[in-house]
Amino acid sequence: MTRTLAAQALASRLPPLLVAAERVAATVAAGVHGRRRTGSGDSFWQFRRYQPGDAASAVDWRQSAKADRLFVRENEWAAAQTVWLWRDPSPSMDWASAAALPAKRERAELLLLALAALLLRGGERVALPASGIGPTSGAAALERLGTALAVEAVAATALPQPAGLPRHAEAVLLSDFLLPLEAVEAAVRALAAAGTVGHLLQVLDPAEETLPFSGRIRFAGLEDEGATVVRRAEDVRDAYRARLLAHRDGLAAIARAAGWSFAVHHTDASPQTALLALHARLGER
Amino acid sequence: MSGLAFAAPWALAALAVLPVLWLLLRVTPPPPRLVRFPPVRLLFGLEAREDAAARTPWWVLALRLLLAVTAILAVAGPLVNPAAPLVDGSGPLVIAVDDGWAAARDWPARSAWLSAQADRAERAGKPVIVVATAPPAEGGPLAVAGPMAAGEARRLLAALQPKPWPTDRAAAAAAVQAIPRDTVMAATWLADGLDDGAGIAFARALQSLGGGLEVVAARTGRILIPPEEQGGDPLTATVRRPGAADRLERVAVRAMDGRGTVLARTEADLPAGEREVAVSLRLPGGLHNRLARLDIEDEAGAAAVVLADERWRRRPVGLAAGGAGASAAPLLDPLYYLRRALAPVAELSEGELSALLGERPPTVLMLADVPAILGTTARAMTAWMEGGGVLVRFAGPAVAQAQSGGGEPDAFLPVPLRAGGRSLGGALSWTVPQGLAPFPEDGPFAGLAVPADVQVRTQVLAEPTAELAAHTWARLADGTPLVTAARRGKGWAVLVHTTANAEWSNLALSGLFPELLQRLTRMAEGRPEKSAGPLPPAALLDGFGRLTPPGGAATALATADTVPGPRHPPGLYGESGVRVALHLGPALGWPAPLALPTGVKAATIDGGGHEIDLRPGLQTAALLLALLDLAAALALRGVLRARTVAVAVAVAVAATPAAAAEAESFALDAALSTRLAAVRTGNAAVDRKSLAGLSGLSRAIDQRSTLHLAEPMAVDVERDPVLFFPLLYWPVTATQPAPSAAAVERLNTYLRKGGLIVFDRAAEGPPLNDGGDGRLEALTRGLALPALAPLPADHVLTRSFYLLAGQPGRFDGGTVWVEAAQGGAANDGVTPVVVGAADWAGAWAADAAGRPLYPAVPGGERQRESALRFGVNLVMVALTGNYKADQVHLPAIMERLRR
Repeated sequence: MTRTLAAQALASRLPPLLVAAERVAATVAAGVHGRRRTGSGDSFWQFRRYQPGDAASAVDWRQSAKADRLFVRENEWAAAQTVWLWRDPSPSMDWASAAALPAKRERAELLLLALAALLLRGGERVALPASGIGPTSGAAALERLGTALAVEAVAATALPQPAGLPRHAEAVLLSDFLLPLEAVEAAVRALAAAGTVGHLLQVLDPAEETLPFSGRIRFAGLEDEGATVVRRAEDVRDAYRARLLAHRDGLAAIARAAGWSFAVHHTDASPQTALLALHARLGER
Repeated sequence: MSGLAFAAPWALAALAVLPVLWLLLRVTPPPPRLVRFPPVRLLFGLEAREDAAARTPWWVLALRLLLAVTAILAVAGPLVNPAAPLVDGSGPLVIAVDDGWAAARDWPARSAWLSAQADRAERAGKPVIVVATAPPAEGGPLAVAGPMAAGEARRLLAALQPKPWPTDRAAAAAAVQAIPRDTVMAATWLADGLDDGAGIAFARALQSLGGGLEVVAARTGRILIPPEEQGGDPLTATVRRPGAADRLERVAVRAMDGRGTVLARTEADLPAGEREVAVSLRLPGGLHNRLARLDIEDEAGAAAVVLADERWRRRPVGLAAGGAGASAAPLLDPLYYLRRALAPVAELSEGELSALLGERPPTVLMLADVPAILGTTARAMTAWMEGGGVLVRFAGPAVAQAQSGGGEPDAFLPVPLRAGGRSLGGALSWTVPQGLAPFPEDGPFAGLAVPADVQVRTQVLAEPTAELAAHTWARLADGTPLVTAARRGKGWAVLVHTTANAEWSNLALSGLFPELLQRLTRMAEGRPEKSAGPLPPAALLDGFGRLTPPGGAATALATADTVPGPRHPPGLYGESGVRVALHLGPALGWPAPLALPTGVKAATIDGGGHEIDLRPGLQTAALLLALLDLAAALALRGVLRARTVAVAVAVAVAATPAAAAEAESFALDAALSTRLAAVRTGNAAVDRKSLAGLSGLSRAIDQRSTLHLAEPMAVDVERDPVLFFPLLYWPVTATQPAPSAAAVERLNTYLRKGGLIVFDRAAEGPPLNDGGDGRLEALTRGLALPALAPLPADHVLTRSFYLLAGQPGRFDGGTVWVEAAQGGAANDGVTPVVVGAADWAGAWAADAAGRPLYPAVPGGERQRESALRFGVNLVMVALTGNYKADQVHLPAIMERLRR
């Protein structure tokens, strides 16, 4: 599957992504890296004083014999984080201003798969809430993700609902976020309320940024939003730009309010840059 | 009448709706471009202004108006230089055409004019009656055709061809008179400009149709009168122009052989006022018997052609000497003066009498001092004379000696001779050498002037008999016979009573001698007997002066002075060997220019120029404009992007071959596999032959050796690099321009780097002489060619693959020239150039199935095989150089090894 291969190729240029586990959640499962805190694992972490309620079997008799107190041996908690990935499946993503440029949806899926490849290589678990693929890991998982993305029907779905995600999940949302700001805010707030930490990446075509058209043009949307006739497209260019920036500021504000991150990616830029940024932001948490 | 007219002027009224169209186009703006744009939500409400006044761009408006105008004009059918419209009325248009010999000269123009007349009648919706004034070829009576529809008339007129005989206007007038006169008919007559005696009557008949008569003139054909002296040198033919003689015309008369090769060509001027000019043609030596026709260059017409028949052939003359035979001193040779006198006018062959009488006996035998003819030779001689041979014997010591012996009288003497000779003016005689008496008026020598200084010192004497005077053709001043003759079957036995050299008389030294001999030679001319019966047609001239197989109503020719007509078209009559040419020119005499009655409108065929119908052009333009408009509309709606157009234009541009890419592909083609190349000469037939020849040679090499050659290429020495080819075949043609300095430089490099150029001088037929004719010299000027020498027998070319004795091509003979052998020559002694005149490509040329394309003469397939082998050797030399030349040292090497 070529798309998967491309994503793997892209991901191979970055070190395995280590997602710092920040919080103990129901989503935690046994993983391969130590979380630098006590938990179930194989490697020793620390001894601590016995407290009432500890199981007798937890007492490290050897250590306790060296001193007056009883010590309980604690191992380092080794666990894998599950990252929930979502990209906008709506028709508006299926658009590119020029034949040489990839469609926004194509770019979003590439980024999604590359991120998934990185996470999987780091031993993390990846889930696709929209496709109904639960947390999964291993080498074959990437193939499954790619297939699921390909067969997934294009639908004018709004942002993912908290019902689909466990609490305290980590989510990456890729979309053009050209929905009305209220819709985005409602969705993000709902997710944030469930404890989800998210990252928003706005994928835009350069033409959407600059409105490079001229002359008398009838603009029509791709999702039955309606159409409008512009007498001279070059005249409205500045007004459009102002509106687009205002919209983006709104998005950034929504993300900030929820404690999420927000970034913009253009399809004419290298996907490497966007992947690097995502990688960094997932890693710093 | 010149200018512009419309076939359907009412259609122009539609131009009045153009303003309405303009308004309509103005108020309907073109639909906007549709762009799909995901962030369309952000655009909503950005432009509140009402969008109603969008204008159609001005250029779209102009384009559509132009389209409308073009379409309306196309419907109106404009005509430039329209012919005068025909008068109204339903009566048919009578088109009279002179389709005799004189119309052939500019028949294409006449044909075009006739077609224009048919168009004119078609537009007017008139039926057409066609009157052709020459008797039809199938021998039927002259009749009018029609009335018929104009379209049908156009087909009939297009099929009309000039006839190789004069018009018969009297019959045509009668046919016109027979047209029923129920309506008024306009008549137009395409005349040939000559009067056959009934021109006025014919014009009156056409006028009597009532619609007026227009007579259109065009150029009149010219007449070539055959030379009086048909075997003479030079040939003097006469060109007459019976038509208008008001300006200077230049005529070129050429002599051609049966294959169309021009043997001689002479130009002459016909000044204004002159109606006749004599043109002399001097044929190169030895080519006299190849002459097949004389014609006026670039003029079609049966009267402009003179065909050479048997009377034109030079007689083959056999020479034999008896007695002392050939003398060491040439001036004493008995045949020396005969050879000198006859060589310009006859094909000479010499040898033993029995050999001369062998397979192809000459028509005239001249025996100098042959005493007796005996045995089988005598029997062959008798049969030959009975069949028409002319035996001319010269007396001499041996003949005189044989007579003095008595015994059997010589059957091959016209008259019995007395024993011994007669000496005049000797030391012991009081007679003086005798001069010649004037020749008898009824003899074959009638009219020849007698030089006073001819003196006969010795002669043999005839027995005086009653018939002697009848047999005597020439006498000495004292009345004794000098030339006697007797009929033998169809032939003659002639005796000249003195020697053929200067021994007995100085007759052989005089200017009279060649004339006497020519007269005697002409006795044998194979003129068919008048009683030989009618001569069947063999090949006939058509109206354009081309020889065609007999057909139509042509019948056998009874007498030679028949006037050509449908039953006896000009051409060649008779069985092979006794062909007689029937010429149109002499039978025409001096036709008078056409005089016309009053009331006739005269015009010329090219008056006012040709009618040009603009409708097809306008229709095409309208279609193109419509396509342009469609493209513009699509572009305005955004369906057709500028990039699409750019791609289309790029595709169109890419489809036209770029010169650089072409040069590169030529080099790739030439270099990627070994192949031969032929120089493009500009003569398409020669170029095709060269390529076919090299292709045939490549195939042969493929089959016979391990070498595989790709298909040959044609190269242009001016443009293409030649460095890639091992061998360059260069046919030398007459019309080829000499290569430019750059090309010469390239060719010199090619030669220096070891290339091989094969020049073939026989590409357009064998050259007239084996020496240079200037063409090759002109072509190779500037080329660094080495000194050339005839191909030596032990040259590497004769042994590089096959051991060869000859180098024939399609023609045998002709010397092959290669670099002269010299020590330490460039290129390791491999010749850079081979020059021949054998048309090798013609011999090699074969079609796809391997069948030869041209006959190899005279050796047939065996010669072709030799030619192919020579070709293989050529290629081997080109590829391996002098490798095989080392074989000459093989005996020496073997010798050393053995020791």
